[in-house]
Amino acid sequence: MDLDRLLETGDRCINEEPPACTAYCPLHLDVKLFMQEIENGNFDKAYKIMEKKLPFPRIIGMLCDHPCESVCVRNDKGGSILINELEKVAVYYGYSKPKKGFPVPSLNKKVAVIGSGFMGITACYDLIKKGYNVDLYEKNNRVGEKVWELQDKYLTPEIIEQELSFLNDKKVSIFLNTTVDENKLNDIIKEYNAVFIAAKSLTSLYEADECTFQAGNSNLFVGKSNEKSLIFSVSTGRRAAITMDRFIKGVSITASRENEGSYETVLKYKIDDEETTEKTIKSGEIFTKEEAVREAKRCFKCRCRDCIKPCVHLQRFNIAPKSYIRNINHNERIIQGTHYANKMILSCTECGLCGVMCDYDVDMKDVVKETKISMVERKKMPQSAHDFALKDMKFSNSEKFFTYRKEPEKENIKYVFYPGCQLPASSPDYIEKIYKYLTDNINEGIGLMLGCCGAPADWSGQNELMKETAALIKNAWVELGKPTFILACSSCMSNFKKYMEEINFISLWEVMDEYELPKLNASQSLKLNIHDPCTSRNTNMQDSIRNIVAKINCEVHELKYSKEFTKCCGYGGLVYFANREQSNDFIDDRIMESNEDLLVYCTMCKDLFTSRGKRTFHMLDLLFSDDLEKSALQKMPTLSERQHNRMHVRNNLLKNIWGEEVMYEDEKYNIKINDNATAKMEEMYIVLSDVKKSVENSIENKERFFNPSDNSYLTRLRIENVTYWVQYEVNEEGITVTNVYSHRMEVVEANNEDIR
Amino acid sequence: MKIYDDANIPWICDKCNEKLILQKTNVLYLDADFEVELWKCPKCKMVLIDEELARGKILEVEKSLEDK
Repeated sequence: MDLDRLLETGDRCINEEPPACTAYCPLHLDVKLFMQEIENGNFDKAYKIMEKKLPFPRIIGMLCDHPCESVCVRNDKGGSILINELEKVAVYYGYSKPKKGFPVPSLNKKVAVIGSGFMGITACYDLIKKGYNVDLYEKNNRVGEKVWELQDKYLTPEIIEQELSFLNDKKVSIFLNTTVDENKLNDIIKEYNAVFIAAKSLTSLYEADECTFQAGNSNLFVGKSNEKSLIFSVSTGRRAAITMDRFIKGVSITASRENEGSYETVLKYKIDDEETTEKTIKSGEIFTKEEAVREAKRCFKCRCRDCIKPCVHLQRFNIAPKSYIRNINHNERIIQGTHYANKMILSCTECGLCGVMCDYDVDMKDVVKETKISMVERKKMPQSAHDFALKDMKFSNSEKFFTYRKEPEKENIKYVFYPGCQLPASSPDYIEKIYKYLTDNINEGIGLMLGCCGAPADWSGQNELMKETAALIKNAWVELGKPTFILACSSCMSNFKKYMEEINFISLWEVMDEYELPKLNASQSLKLNIHDPCTSRNTNMQDSIRNIVAKINCEVHELKYSKEFTKCCGYGGLVYFANREQSNDFIDDRIMESNEDLLVYCTMCKDLFTSRGKRTFHMLDLLFSDDLEKSALQKMPTLSERQHNRMHVRNNLLKNIWGEEVMYEDEKYNIKINDNATAKMEEMYIVLSDVKKSVENSIENKERFFNPSDNSYLTRLRIENVTYWVQYEVNEEGITVTNVYSHRMEVVEANNEDIR
Repeated sequence: MKIYDDANIPWICDKCNEKLILQKTNVLYLDADFEVELWKCPKCKMVLIDEELARGKILEVEKSLEDK
């Protein structure tokens, strides 16, 4: 797997990009986290967040001119969050003395800072922290004249003094009442490693770089800040300190300085679904705690969740593509240790909705597909995840189901009907009806092919098996004279498109839309929500279905997520087998969205929705069912019944249409399965044929245990990679299986002593 | 690894009509090979895995080995 390309895809995800306020704040206060803490009533923690980004936070908190509020996404939904008012309450209710850090050792480098406004003292603050000796020149008789002028009830002289106490550091020398003119400056420049001008009287005299503030190539740095803004002045002081530090250390002063200062975030938080809420009114001079909490609750905590909002998979794992991809990258790179991301990767249905929602072309379907293929290639795919589905596919492409025929008495056929593997398993009665409908309407010859398109191989990353399956279908297609496939299943269609390019196909629904519809057995006007299968995304079968529904007078109410934006039912990606809880999330999410009966046109969608109690019709129910009420809640046949149904569809069609007799193997023993064992078989993906083989082997080879207290037998049989255990009773009528279970681990039955 | 204490189990070997005994037995999965004490027929060596073990400890170990 190309991990560099994978990481590039992850880089495109903007989930971790800052909200507008944080990006626009020239000091990049983490406003979102700050709001979260206020909302939770943690004023102390909120203050600590301010402390992380702001020098002397109590002064800035009380005085900031808050440019952030002008870009707040709330502006159009009741007005900007009152960010600065909330900073004030964080200072007022949440201040605690900063922890004393270790004193920073001196670097023995000298910097002069001229002017002690917000810009100058910020530069001092940062330079001291980096270990520089700083000489501060101020023309007035005290430092920070501006700050003292702005003192009030909340910003008391005592607080100002405490906040500026960092200047008492022994690395700082302060020269008050000292005017620096051009002559003096020339002397200073020679004396210091770097000089920062933060005094208006001098800044206008020098040209300087807008990003680094350096004047030419000299050691002079000029704090040009056109804004009459406190916070921009602070930012300029901070950025100049970064440049001076780099300059003195002799490293690049221009490298990686994007997104310093104020910038516009790429995040475009969508507010269409958000409700308007008015700003909170202050009852006093500053917010009460309750008012502050209410105001912070108005904050959207902007973060791109476009793909997460409609996806229960990303929700269950509480993850966005960016970190999802980092997890995959780690999972792919570890040699020894646990692959923790396996479960997550195998819980994606590969429905592709995230890709549709994303403005930056991040599609987890492609990423997960590629990852699964890599897992299989590296032999790191958990065997149990897809084992049953692959065995079921093998069954469908075995002589028990796989077959193909031309239409009787037609040498050339233009079409071949391919119902797929799940429709014959769930609704065996429809297949012959559809075939007859097609041959009645189309005269150019219609063959029949039964089998599985390879979707389970595709979904489980089994690339080689997928290619073999495509070759099997292609060979049969060539033998039939290269007819156009009529496909009843959208998953087949997506697989044909991907792996069998040379084969032409059309959906059954397009054919039905074009020809006269079958005569309805049961007609009633229904109110329906259409659920489009995820594999029908961007195909024209979606329109054909709507045309057909309109012709049979059903009323359709479109779901919010439909057509291009449709969701998966929970079967895609074989998540149904790999993580049943996740599959149920998908089913329930879709059921919750729908107020009417659902109309689907994929068998697995129908089976999954009805499995959790939702009335659901398959399009074919509306056209061919004798009893719509019964169809609406028809339960999914068991896994064994599904295989049995496929086999019978094949045999019945061959008999009824082509007049071929099919021999059935006689049952050797009369084996019945009780309810307990039937339920266990479903739960553990055990099919009847394997249970029967186990029982037969136990009788014929006497390989079984006996329980004299209840006269029951227990036996085991290893079939391929699974050991099946079957418990049964023998009575006059035959054999009753009362329990089954299985394991994959292989037990070495030969005695250890014998091996040695 | 010892899983069972010496409590009796209801099963006897149907072929040999023998009581089962606890004996060290090798079990394999993926690249792993463990020795576990399991019930087996002393004569024909057929090993018994009961449901609790299969769906409990064994399943757990299988799952964790699959993620290795």
